[in-house]
Amino acid sequence: YLLCASGDFVKVYSVNTEETLRLMGGHADLVTGIQLNPHNHMQLYSSSLDGTIKLWDFMDGIPIKTFTVGSKLLALYTPAGAEDSVFVVIPKKGERDTFQLVSVKLTKGAGQDLEAKEVSVVLDGVGASMKHIAFGREGAYVASVKDVNLQVYFFKRKLLNRFSLSTVKTKGGDNNFSCVVCHPTEDCIATGHADGKIRLWRNFHHRKEYTYSTLHWHHDIVMDLAFSIEGTRLLSGGVESVLVQWHNESSCQKDFLPRLGSPIEYISMSSDGALCCTLHTDNRITIINSNLRFSRSIQGLIKSRDVKTGLVVDPRTKALVLNGEPGHLQFYSLQSDQQLFSLDIVQRQYIHQAGLKQSDLVKVAFSAQGTWLATVEESEEVTDPELQLKLWFYHEELQSFQLNTRINTPHDNHITDMCFRDMDELGDDSLILVTTGRDCVFKVWVMVEDNDPEAQQSVSWSCDFVGSYHNYQATNCCFSEDGSLLAVSFEETVTVWDSLTWDLKCTFCHPPGNIRNICFGRLTCSKYLIGATDYGFLCCWNLLTCALEWSAHLNVVVLQPDPLSEHIAAVSWLSKESSLFVFKPNEPRPIYIQRNLCKEKILLAAFVPRDEPEMISSEKYLWLRKSQLFFLTDTQELMTLSTKSLEERLTPSSKQLAVEESLPVTPFSLLLGKHRRQQAQEDIDLGKPVVHNKQEQASPAVKELLHTPAHVLPSASFLCTIFINSLLISTESKSAEEVADEVEMESEKAEDDSDEEDATEMEQEDTSHMELLGEMTCKLSKSQEKELRKIRKTDYSWISAF
Amino acid sequence: IGCEDGSVKIFQVVPGGIQFERNLDRRKGRVLCLSWHPSDTHIVAGSIDFFRVIDVTSGQTVQRIMVNHHVEKAKHECVVWAIALLSRGTVVSADSFGRVQFWDWEQGTLAESHTVSTSAALSLAVSEKEDSIVVGTSTGATYQLQLLPVKLGGLEKRWVRTKPFQYHSHDVRAVAHSPTALISGGLDAQLVIRPLMEKIQKKGYDAALRKFTFPHRRLVSCARKAQLLLFQFSQHLELWRLGSTEETGKDGEVLPLCRMPEHLVQLKSKGPEHIYCSCVSPCGTWVGYSTASRFQLYRVHCDGDGVSLRKVPKTPKLLPPAYQLQFSADSSSLFVASARGSVHVLQLLEPGGCKHLHTLRPPSGCSEAVYLLAPSADGHWLAAVSGDWAIHIYNLKCFKHHCVVPTYDCAVSALAIHPSTNNLVIAYSDQQLFEFSIPEKQYTGWSRAVQSRGLHRAWLERDSPITHITFNPKNPAHILLHDTYLLCVLDKSLPLPDDSTLLMNQSTLKQLPETARKRQLHAFKICKKFQPLLFMDLLDENCLVVVERPIMDFKTQLPLPVQQKKFGT
Repeated sequence: YLLCASGDFVKVYSVNTEETLRLMGGHADLVTGIQLNPHNHMQLYSSSLDGTIKLWDFMDGIPIKTFTVGSKLLALYTPAGAEDSVFVVIPKKGERDTFQLVSVKLTKGAGQDLEAKEVSVVLDGVGASMKHIAFGREGAYVASVKDVNLQVYFFKRKLLNRFSLSTVKTKGGDNNFSCVVCHPTEDCIATGHADGKIRLWRNFHHRKEYTYSTLHWHHDIVMDLAFSIEGTRLLSGGVESVLVQWHNESSCQKDFLPRLGSPIEYISMSSDGALCCTLHTDNRITIINSNLRFSRSIQGLIKSRDVKTGLVVDPRTKALVLNGEPGHLQFYSLQSDQQLFSLDIVQRQYIHQAGLKQSDLVKVAFSAQGTWLATVEESEEVTDPELQLKLWFYHEELQSFQLNTRINTPHDNHITDMCFRDMDELGDDSLILVTTGRDCVFKVWVMVEDNDPEAQQSVSWSCDFVGSYHNYQATNCCFSEDGSLLAVSFEETVTVWDSLTWDLKCTFCHPPGNIRNICFGRLTCSKYLIGATDYGFLCCWNLLTCALEWSAHLNVVVLQPDPLSEHIAAVSWLSKESSLFVFKPNEPRPIYIQRNLCKEKILLAAFVPRDEPEMISSEKYLWLRKSQLFFLTDTQELMTLSTKSLEERLTPSSKQLAVEESLPVTPFSLLLGKHRRQQAQEDIDLGKPVVHNKQEQASPAVKELLHTPAHVLPSASFLCTIFINSLLISTESKSAEEVADEVEMESEKAEDDSDEEDATEMEQEDTSHMELLGEMTCKLSKSQEKELRKIRKTDYSWISAF
Repeated sequence: IGCEDGSVKIFQVVPGGIQFERNLDRRKGRVLCLSWHPSDTHIVAGSIDFFRVIDVTSGQTVQRIMVNHHVEKAKHECVVWAIALLSRGTVVSADSFGRVQFWDWEQGTLAESHTVSTSAALSLAVSEKEDSIVVGTSTGATYQLQLLPVKLGGLEKRWVRTKPFQYHSHDVRAVAHSPTALISGGLDAQLVIRPLMEKIQKKGYDAALRKFTFPHRRLVSCARKAQLLLFQFSQHLELWRLGSTEETGKDGEVLPLCRMPEHLVQLKSKGPEHIYCSCVSPCGTWVGYSTASRFQLYRVHCDGDGVSLRKVPKTPKLLPPAYQLQFSADSSSLFVASARGSVHVLQLLEPGGCKHLHTLRPPSGCSEAVYLLAPSADGHWLAAVSGDWAIHIYNLKCFKHHCVVPTYDCAVSALAIHPSTNNLVIAYSDQQLFEFSIPEKQYTGWSRAVQSRGLHRAWLERDSPITHITFNPKNPAHILLHDTYLLCVLDKSLPLPDDSTLLMNQSTLKQLPETARKRQLHAFKICKKFQPLLFMDLLDENCLVVVERPIMDFKTQLPLPVQQKKFGT
């Protein structure tokens, strides 16, 4: 098993199949540390910012005990030497940004929820990261690094030694510590430094006669270190994305595992020493054999430095397509939370070096069938970008995209937008690609037959038409649904062109402010053109009358039409919160408003068509019937709107069921399980979700009852009342939950553990007051109570964060 | 002594020389390094691809260990460049593969092997406690290996390579391990003393890294009257006539020469021996030098433009030869510093002869040789410093011992007698300065004032000792001193600086107005313009000669260093 703290959860992966076996939720905040129980290797301790330490049976995914410490826990250590206490890093009371290492005595109580208030401070002024503290051989000492200081505390002798390095940065050297690990069998501490050096400290129980040797290969900060189980090998990793293995602490003998894709963040060794895994900054885990061979990798959504391409849906696989590794395009399957494949677009070696200008992918467009893919890459230079437009053809046999045409410098300046003419029925001949550039023109590219007999392909792309408007910069382009009209925005103006003759048909303008987004309406609303401006206006023009139909005052960041319906989603960003509005162009009133969607700025959105239309009972979510809406925030978290209620998704994997599954099947437990399922079903049918907390409170009694062997149980009469009480649902909880609408935000985890996520329940305040949206008055139903819950999506199941 | 033919010869050290005792077991293969066991029972001899341990009493080889046997079909031979035999029966070998290996010679097994460098490990030294080893390599890096406990409180100890040092650009041919420092010398003509900070209790002179490029000896001598300079090289002497100018200029100007400096003659020493000391007489007619075995005296004949040297026949056979040579101020006699505290006085006879006049010896006897001499200008006194740091003053008129300067617990680095007052000025290697009045046989008042006041901290923390002292005939209060990095005019009439004032204040003084300058003046007037400074002397009242030896001059003559790939190049 491979255990990994991921947001509020602890994920259990199978090392052999890379599958997520279990997802253990229960913490109310970010999980900051997980450590195996040194006395029982089937158990796991986890600490969280919510101030609790949980002990899990990770084989079954059951929480055994919860210890409440009280303050934020930033890191957790369970050295073997400590009998019944664990060590955690907590913020020092009364001082900001000061942290201390404390030992917490875990009381041996009977219940599941225990208080652990017996706290004693071990070290003061430690680093907040878990990499800054390490426990030595058999827990005999603890080493902590911060800035240029190393502290070693010997528990038996109660001796604290402090060692400092010089702060002077000479010859590019930077002595700041970045991480520390201790040798498993010897008195040796290895520390990583900001300048890429690794120091091996010995004799550190002498205040003066300590000594260290230096290993230097990394050219930039050493992110993490790990000793092998027997201590003969030391693994180090950094931004070079190369894993270095040092033998016998000698600088001459070292092995490398290069090209791991992205900077290494953490290194972990398995307890038998056969495997090690590296965690990368782009949300990936690589499992590596002991002979330093790549074994397999676990990866979800790759975090790239900057999603420039936008969220694009591959029509063929329904996968989400966006920037992946540098220069690569990732195809991410939403259903399985896996990367389908990564297409190398730039096809250049990526070199990690600060200040080096890299080429990266900036624009992607698919043709309607998914047979053609257009990509734009540019180097990072601002003044003179090196532009390349590439057109890729999907090869059926190879099941992959093949480069068809490469156009160097398609525009003289940055390309701002690109789209294909989406015409399903007309076939390949009518395929047109339009690119708009900051060089004040838009260009139309068409396929031409290749006359050259030596050419391996029959068609290639070339420029057909160049259009411009008053020498304004072209910013956006969009084809109407039938492909007859092309709308191109030039700064403040939207121009509409006939796609057959390339005549300028009409122009629209809504000063002041440049056009930020444009799109055509679909299906019944295809006569409308929607545009959003910088100055916070959303305008709808009628193409038949060439007049403004309506406009609304809304600062629209994202404007996304649903390809399968007339609905258009607009995401606004106002006063540090994103709000979602869904409307049809033909009516100025939005059909759905979701305020306070999330705290982060939403940068991109995409409608992903559902495989089959979902049956949606609620009136409010009819617009989500055919496709699902996904958002990407600026912290690269992927979120979606869900129509299902919270409990519906919880039932299959709720904790109570997990308890039952682990039990031997007895008639009693079957009865109990049946009863509970029935109850849950009822709740859903009634639309009255059960208070989750109530069940959790009740569960220990039941669990205790089921766990305890029959011969030590008290008499049945004594247990009866507790048991019955636990199964009852209190009446006040029902009355409190008169919730009609329930919207859940599911946030796809874009990060495994590095991302800060707040899973706080966001309750929207009463929005009964009238909403004034420009000219349009939006009447919202009164007493609209919405409960917004942030839920993490798992691979196959949904689990509550609470 | 290990020989090229594979034999190891044992010599007995007897008073006055060494005496061959016997040959130890001879095996094939050149012997490249030797090390005695601390108890003198065994010798380990390193050769190519193997080393052997020889029992001294029986003379037999008791163990022969191939250092390379586990390397499959090694293409190159493995040269054991340095070896050490530790008291616990461990042999440490440093070889051309850059390895430092620890062997148990009785078992013949390899205990540990550390590859410290990709190039050859050339030298090795073990600390007295045998818990630390310093290794020099051909890349110029030195490495320290330490014997450290594996676990706290545990008995098991292991050698761990700890600190690397890179102070040399070329081969580190010799290393030494003092209790508090690592000392290394290399092909780049540098001697580096790297203190081990953890062994040093207080901050002081020992706590700083020291680098020495030039010997702390006078290598240049000057004939003031004839304006000649004699340069001493390792195997030859060069005699130069100084150029001159008739123009004058302001401070910092370079004046055109009316006569170019002239290389008069080059004198090669015979045999492979290095020249130990040399001197030219003030009148420029005599040149003397000494090697380890011979003392030579030459008469310089100037006939027009040509200069010829004629060897003075029948120089007295002095054994051992001179440690220091010094002509008297009137060039009539030569003082030869010799062993056991004795100074021979030779009378120089025209047209080219000499006579042994007298031998001055300290009355109490002395076991160390004299290494510094200072005759007075009036020919009345001679000060001689012997290796035990005692300064004896002799009266030359009656060839009698005059007095002893009170002993100071430090080596004398330079001394000179003032021409008018006959005060002896002494510079010690800890940078202290003393003035001793010879007629009065006591320290002068100024010297006592200096001692009570203490010298400036910046002066005391300087790196290199004063190597030459001379005086300004115009102003008797001026003493001219120099070391490798600075030239100092010590004005006894001015107040001494205290620690709060700037010691090197010449540049700031120049910017001050006249009145303010007066207040800022102090005794030390320091010039750092000439570096590295080998020699400085006053030719006459307004002419000073300074000899600079740019480091690049001999750096370019060094062989190419080992090629190393540097990251980022």
